[in-house]
Parts: sequence; C-alpha cells; structure tokens
Amino acid sequence: MAAIKELTRDLENKANDFRKLEKDIQKNQQVKKKYTIQLGENELVLKELDLLNEDTNVYKLIGPVLVKQDLAEANANVRKRIEYISAELKRLDSTLQDLQEKLNSKQESIAKLQQRIQALQAGKAKA
Amino acid sequence: MAATPRMELEKMSVEHLRGLKEQVDMEVNLLQDSLNNLRSANSRLEIASAALHDLSVRPRGKKMLVPLTASLYVPGKLDDAEKVLVDVGTGYFIEKTMVEGKDYCERKIALLKSNYDQLLEVTAKKRSIADEAGAILQAKLKQLAPSQ
Repeated sequence: MAAIKELTRDLENKANDFRKLEKDIQKNQQVKKKYTIQLGENELVLKELDLLNEDTNVYKLIGPVLVKQDLAEANANVRKRIEYISAELKRLDSTLQDLQEKLNSKQESIAKLQQRIQALQAGKAKA
Repeated sequence: MAATPRMELEKMSVEHLRGLKEQVDMEVNLLQDSLNNLRSANSRLEIASAALHDLSVRPRGKKMLVPLTASLYVPGKLDDAEKVLVDVGTGYFIEKTMVEGKDYCERKIALLKSNYDQLLEVTAKKRSIADEAGAILQAKLKQLAPSQ
C-alpha cells in the first residue's frame, strides 16, 4: 500500500518534470524562430550592401534619428551581427538536443514507473 | 510513389490517424498563414513600385501634399526625384538612384514571387496528405461502426 503511494508520488514528480521540459523546449523553439528570422533579414541586408559602390550613402535608423554610416562600418556591423546570431543559434540547437534527450529518458522512466504501479495494483487486487 | 504513403496510412490505428490528421491540418494552417503574409508583402512592394514609377515622371518643383501624420498633409514641392532612400531591413537605409530603386523593387517582388510559388507547392502536398488521412479515417470509422 505504502509502496504504491510512494510510487504514485514519484510518478507525479516525474510528470511535472516532463511538463517543465516540454515548456522549456517550446521556449527554446520560439527563441530559435526569432533568431532565424533576424538572421535571414541581416543576410538580405548584407547582400544589398555588397552590391553598392564605395561612395554610396548608407544610413542607419537609430531610434527616431537617421544617421549617415560609413559603408565599411555598416558592412562590418551586419557581419558581426550575423556571426553573433549564428553562434546563438548553434548554442540553442545543442541545448534543444540536450532537452530532447532528457525528455525521452523522462518519458521512459515514467512508462516504467506506470508499469510497476499497475503490476502492484494488480497484485493487490488478487490478494 | 503515391501508393506507399497511402499504405502506411492504412496500417495505422484510428487513434494514430486522428492525431496525424490533426497535426498535418495544423501544419497546413500555418503554411496558409505564411502564404497570406507573402501575398500581402508582395502587394505592399507592388504599391511601392507603382509609387516610384509615378514619382519618376513628375517634374521637379511639382506641387504636392506631404503626409505628416495619418490625417495631416502639408503642401510642398517635389525636390529631386532622382535619389531615393530604400529601407533594406534591420534599420538600414540605402541612398539609391531612381533607376536602382525601381530595380530593387523588381528584385524583391521577384524573390517574393518565387518564395510564394515554392510554398504553394509544399502546401499543396501537405494538404493532399491531410485529405488522404481524413478519407482513410472516415473509411476506418465506417468499418468499425456497423460491426458494433
């Protein structure tokens, strides 16, 4: 009797952990989506900048102010941003893999636990 | 090629099929949303392109009304329409000539159109999978019902 109670409590805890892992995975995917969109946009900008002559005027919108920028500087900034975002995405990818593995193993241990509880309950019913 | 996925679907249980159909339906909805977004972005670009073409035929010094807010316009005169500022994304604006500006619009419109076509293909495929799953689901349910 006590064993079943304990196992059930353990099952609840594991279920909570599972749900938390699912939420974490969801958040991770949302952030990944945002970054992927930004990466795409920045790559478009880089392509446009690459097409320009050296003397073309480039401006950046900083708040409500349109500021003239040096083409080389603009290029460097966009490239740096692309590098940063790519690194972030790689980091998020490995975190996601990690979370998936944890999720799968959690699912396995939940299934095993459920089996044990069922077995015990069946044993009790017979006795 | 089309036969194999159908056999896979036939093998699945009703539960499994239902879940799969729901998932694919959701994917189709998402894809449809993306298609709509692409279409509206494309129409915005077409409007910009039309505006550019119009500007390019206006003479310098032409009187015009300049919007300051959504409901406030002030009279002004058209300055040099040879230079245009193009918003290329992430807060960057590039000064281009009228010709380059028009070319930019054309390029973007072409890019969006090809993305739209690709997406349309993918959506059509997904939709056919969803339809097939639905049909097989119906058939299975009908099979189960009379046996009860």
